[in-house]
Amino acid sequence: MSLLRIHAHPSRTAVWTLSWALFAVGLVLYFSVAQQRHRENPDERVMPTFTQMVRGFSDAALKPAGEEEAQADNGSSLVARFRGSMLWTDTLASGRRFLISLALLFPAVLLGLHMAMFPLIGAFFLRFILFFDKIVALSLLPILFIAFGIDELSKIMLIVIGVAPTIILDTFNLSKSVPGEQIVKGFTLGASDFSIAYRIVFKQIWPRVLNSIRLNLKAVMLFLFAGEMIASTDGLAYRIALLRRHMGMDTIIPYVLWVALLLFLVDFAMNKFNHKLHPWFQER
Amino acid sequence: MPDAAIQLENVHVDYPVAGQAVRSVLGGISLRIESGEFVAIVGETGCGKSTLLRLILGEEKPTRGRLLVNGRERWQPDRYCGYVPQKYSLFPDKTVLDNVTFGPETIAFGAWSALRWVHPGQMRRFRQEAFSYLRHTGLDESDARKYPYQLSGGMQQRVAIAQALIMKPPILLMDEAFSALDPATRAGMQRLIKKLWRESGTTVVFVTHNTREAVCLGTRVIALSKNRDGNRGSSIALDLAVPNLEFDSDECDIANLVREVEAATVRERPLVYN
Repeated sequence: MSLLRIHAHPSRTAVWTLSWALFAVGLVLYFSVAQQRHRENPDERVMPTFTQMVRGFSDAALKPAGEEEAQADNGSSLVARFRGSMLWTDTLASGRRFLISLALLFPAVLLGLHMAMFPLIGAFFLRFILFFDKIVALSLLPILFIAFGIDELSKIMLIVIGVAPTIILDTFNLSKSVPGEQIVKGFTLGASDFSIAYRIVFKQIWPRVLNSIRLNLKAVMLFLFAGEMIASTDGLAYRIALLRRHMGMDTIIPYVLWVALLLFLVDFAMNKFNHKLHPWFQER
Repeated sequence: MPDAAIQLENVHVDYPVAGQAVRSVLGGISLRIESGEFVAIVGETGCGKSTLLRLILGEEKPTRGRLLVNGRERWQPDRYCGYVPQKYSLFPDKTVLDNVTFGPETIAFGAWSALRWVHPGQMRRFRQEAFSYLRHTGLDESDARKYPYQLSGGMQQRVAIAQALIMKPPILLMDEAFSALDPATRAGMQRLIKKLWRESGTTVVFVTHNTREAVCLGTRVIALSKNRDGNRGSSIALDLAVPNLEFDSDECDIANLVREVEAATVRERPLVYN
């Protein structure tokens, strides 16, 4: 069949059409089923219509989060209303936790690099981290809540404990994959052990480490959501858990799409940043 | 007697192999390489040429015997020996210029590469020196801003040679440095390295599996030959006294010499050439 040829060269239009086809099919399927369910039951709440979702999302994005903001709301601009809204407050709360967790992953990268470069450090940490990596992070949640309380620290620790071992091991493997010739070359050019670790190996693996972090963004978000759903008073996942109790699907679905969009944008930005900063890596 | 540039005294290298006692790679090699020589090491694949080079670099230790470089045992590679491998000879994340200035910069600033912005005068000097080495190896300034992936194999090796020579190493070790190049580029690079050797006076140890390249480049050819009498296939070194040929020597002379070196390698007997 000609469609399944390895050497097929689809036109730009064909690529564009094919890449959007599943989105279109998904939307058409959802709204036709939703429409049908609403015809059968006007009080249907499981599958909100497009209009209901737009209304739900605009309420979340433009109506104030609390009573204090509601009083200050009168006559304020659209931007000001958005900044006082439930959606913005939740996004800020989750975003702060997300960024702190990402920043805390940097020491994990350095640990992986040192484990690969210095055999004694590797011998000290590797076995332990390989074991630690197998512990299901979510099963540690009760211990974390007991140890660190139910505030911010436990949620951030859950993310770090869940993702850091993967990043450490990934960095370790990436550092080990740098050809031995490069390390010998470094020594012959007068580099010290630390110069080789930071100026040769780290610089070569950094774009790949960024890619590894990009691939783990979803895991970061997963642990963040688990923490927020169980013990939080703000954040995107807290809101979704809260709305679930009232069957607020008209807001839950836009919230889920909003989270996906944010994550996509972070991933896109990191990818662009990686391209810009490391032209040699993308073009090889 | 002054210290030789490189001296091997009955050097053995054995590797442990699962299911066997050991696999012997080099079986009792003794060699003396004087300062300023151009020594070509030739031999079939797997005979231990690269192992010998790693020993000289200090990356590996002999199982038995002693290896001295400038009269001292070596514990790890350092700037006393420059190194040009066949592959991965350049740092892919650095431009040509940064690759060449890497050595001088590292000596000056150590791991703190950010310091180079604080010492613009010193960096300017390193760059000028790098440009002069690049020109010397046949590259021009327009190539300096390119990354290694933007260069052909021959150009990459030219940069690798400039990168090694800027450190002015007393010994330059080249491990099949031209093996991956096409014949025309290879011939150009062979002429270049011989010219640079004459100008710098550096001791060059050039590992190759190409006998013609060995006899045309080396002032001395060492053939590593599998010891067929025993010692489980380990290699011994045959120091072949070959006449000093050039690339423009008579083609028949070169062909005859290549044939005789190859025959001597099989016979495991030093070549006596009148």
